[in-house]
Amino acid sequence: MIRDVLHLIGVYTKTIMKSWFQYKVDAVLRSLAVFLRESTGIIVVYFTLLKFDTLNGWNVYELLFLFSLLFVTYGIMILFFTGLRDFGGTVRNGGFDRYILRPRGLLFQIIFVNADWFAAIGHGGLGIVLFLISASKVGIVWSFDKAMYYLFAIFGGVLIQGAIFLFLATLNIYLLETGSLKELFYWNARKFAGYPLSIFHKAIQTVMLYVVPFAFVNYFPAQYLLRKEDMAAYPEIFLYLTPALGVAMYLLAYVFWRFSLKYYKSSGN
Amino acid sequence: MSFIEVTNVSKRFRINKRAGGIPGMIANMFVPKYEYKQAVDGISFSIEEGEMIGFIGPNGAGKSTTIKMLSGILCPDSGSIKVGGYTPYKDRKKYVGNIGVVFGQKSQLQWDLPVIDSFELLKAIYRIPEELYQKNLNRFTEMLQMESFLYQPVRQLSLGQRMRADIVAALLHSPKIVFFDEPTIGVDVVGKETIRQFIRELNETDNITMIFTTHDMQDIEKVCDRLIIIDKGSKVYDGELSGIREKFGTTRQLDVEFTQECEIEPVENVQVIPLDNRKKRFVFENRDVKIDELMNELLTKYSIRDINISEPEIESLIRKIYNGEVS
Amino acid sequence: MKLTPYLAFAKKSFLNRSAYRFNHFMGILNTLVRIFIFWCIYRALYGERNEVDGITMAMVTTNFVLSIGMDALFSINDYYLPNRIGNGSIATELLLPISFKGRMLFENLGNTLFQLIFHFAPALVVCVVTVGVLPPVSFGCFLLFIISAVLGYGVLWNLSFLLQTFSFWLLNMWSLMTIKNVFLNVLSGSMIPLWFMPDWMAPVMNLLPFSSIYFTPVQIYLGQLSAKEIGTKFLVQMLWIGVLYLCGNVFWKKGKKKLVVQGG
Repeated sequence: MIRDVLHLIGVYTKTIMKSWFQYKVDAVLRSLAVFLRESTGIIVVYFTLLKFDTLNGWNVYELLFLFSLLFVTYGIMILFFTGLRDFGGTVRNGGFDRYILRPRGLLFQIIFVNADWFAAIGHGGLGIVLFLISASKVGIVWSFDKAMYYLFAIFGGVLIQGAIFLFLATLNIYLLETGSLKELFYWNARKFAGYPLSIFHKAIQTVMLYVVPFAFVNYFPAQYLLRKEDMAAYPEIFLYLTPALGVAMYLLAYVFWRFSLKYYKSSGN
Repeated sequence: MSFIEVTNVSKRFRINKRAGGIPGMIANMFVPKYEYKQAVDGISFSIEEGEMIGFIGPNGAGKSTTIKMLSGILCPDSGSIKVGGYTPYKDRKKYVGNIGVVFGQKSQLQWDLPVIDSFELLKAIYRIPEELYQKNLNRFTEMLQMESFLYQPVRQLSLGQRMRADIVAALLHSPKIVFFDEPTIGVDVVGKETIRQFIRELNETDNITMIFTTHDMQDIEKVCDRLIIIDKGSKVYDGELSGIREKFGTTRQLDVEFTQECEIEPVENVQVIPLDNRKKRFVFENRDVKIDELMNELLTKYSIRDINISEPEIESLIRKIYNGEVS
Repeated sequence: MKLTPYLAFAKKSFLNRSAYRFNHFMGILNTLVRIFIFWCIYRALYGERNEVDGITMAMVTTNFVLSIGMDALFSINDYYLPNRIGNGSIATELLLPISFKGRMLFENLGNTLFQLIFHFAPALVVCVVTVGVLPPVSFGCFLLFIISAVLGYGVLWNLSFLLQTFSFWLLNMWSLMTIKNVFLNVLSGSMIPLWFMPDWMAPVMNLLPFSSIYFTPVQIYLGQLSAKEIGTKFLVQMLWIGVLYLCGNVFWKKGKKKLVVQGG
């Protein structure tokens, strides 16, 4: 059973890779463009901090470390959840009906049929580069505990964003157009997440903590490892919530997904 | 108990009526307004294993809704559907391994990759044993003459080639039932013939149950044994193809060629259509006019070179059924 | 050249925009979010300080509001030509008895007018109320700012057109345009006020057209330039328009020839 599933994942991945290599130059250019586009914010932060030294107590390497968590988690997440990002199109062009007609799990198919390697390499690659640049310079004394914490934080960060994607994807079953909602609840929220939470207005902080909890994707994990002064404004427990929150949010989104599938079958589209 | 048993199935859709503009959008978010459309209205039929069914009706008649319910994509509001012991919309994962679906308009092949790669992927998805896969692949590619393009990317194929590949893709796992939705749409005449022959042959040798929806009457005439016609969500005909003529084909036409140009006196209940100078067509209902009496009358009154009786074509009959001209 | 048909195109693209209201609303929100993020960052960077290198927080805020606002206002469709080459409709559109480039410009101008009234203006009002925007130093400066902004638009339009003509030869325009936007964002002052750029970046900025697009108008608006400097900057802007226009024209003519010879 497990072997069969792994085999299928292997075949899916092989198929995606083959499609990808049909246009080699294009693939390289696309990944490079994503990499550069996402670097924009980093370059700007770098230049800005040459002038100002610190942002609310964070120096340039600490900020890069904060960014790196955002990009690494997104890079991993998009490798699995491209299908959810593009789910609106899949529903509209009948692709979802085709998934229903195959003897495999629906979410399983959505996840493994698609993988945006351009985005994954662009974002993930940038995340790794940033991590390599910053990790040794921010004064973290790496130990087994901290490495485990880091891995769990990445895991939680991937799930938090995955849950948001799954939730927004599920809305496609009810609504015709969800692009704008995604812009509002995902991309705009993510723009704030590149910087220390503490610099923002209280209302924004509330959103980043309780509505679209990006703060737990990178700010609190970075705080655990870096211990900056602005952490004083938040309860200590926030440092440890990321993995649990990721699992909880994902389960919640999954329940919503299951419920909506029943609706899809009874309402059509 | 038949192989496919559809009993009194109904399906109604709720359509959100949106008012325009931002106020309309906001109003719609809080107090949505709906309209209801009865897509399928108490349909029943049963199909035996190995039957070849043409499932037709005008656009919006409820064809695709019924097919979607039969294939498990939608569940009915009321009534029951049993296919080979399964309830399609409940036992999805177990059920869909037994069916194949060909959507003429939507390919399931990988656009950028050679055809064979899509087949390999399906082999993994449907857990097809190696032996069966090879057997089916060889057999189908030979029957459909696909050897020449099996290793070509799908995006380079002609529509006819792509359709053949899509049909094979739906059959690799040896399904017991296959749904064809417009399987010849956009394909050239020769391609259509290849596809029809293949389907007939497969139905005869493998005893696969096949359900067709199409707008091409040639498909129906050349492939199907039995016809189910639905209109406005209800079944209006269910029976053999030839039965349509018996039931609805009450119109006859008589094409007469006269030896010279002449004026025809009007005949009761007969419509006269001039075809050219010396040819006229007489159209009438079977029950109103006795054909021998009419011919007698014509032969005595005029000098005639040739007479030809014909029945209406199935296609025009079906169009009449759609239009509600016969009942 | 008669203007009437071109104005019709401008009107059409203006009216088309009003159809997608929810997306439009989201667009304004996006602009505001961008401005607000940078405002928050600089508020934290400035802390208790009144000014850094003679630049006050109010000037920084005004820079962001104006340059991000102009970015939203100009909103040039980078894929106007590539899309038409991609789907082949360029062949028939070139046969129309009007200038393709003229039509492209006016459709964009119609869009810009729409953006000015329904995007820039409301966003500006929100910014004035929330983060605060400095008024122009004088009425004269304001007029010169308008002229400079129009020239900035000219620079951006011609830059975009030049890159768009590459679609006669390149398939992957997305990557090219994305990389252009990286340069535009970093070097135009819409993400980092150019006062704070390190000195060693100065030659790079002087050799590229990006600072002529938003930053020159902003400097004039804030009264940072003397009359002589304004004159020089105007010349630089016009020089860029000229250079980019000529290059764009060369590629445009070559591309059209390629289209005729190879049929697409």
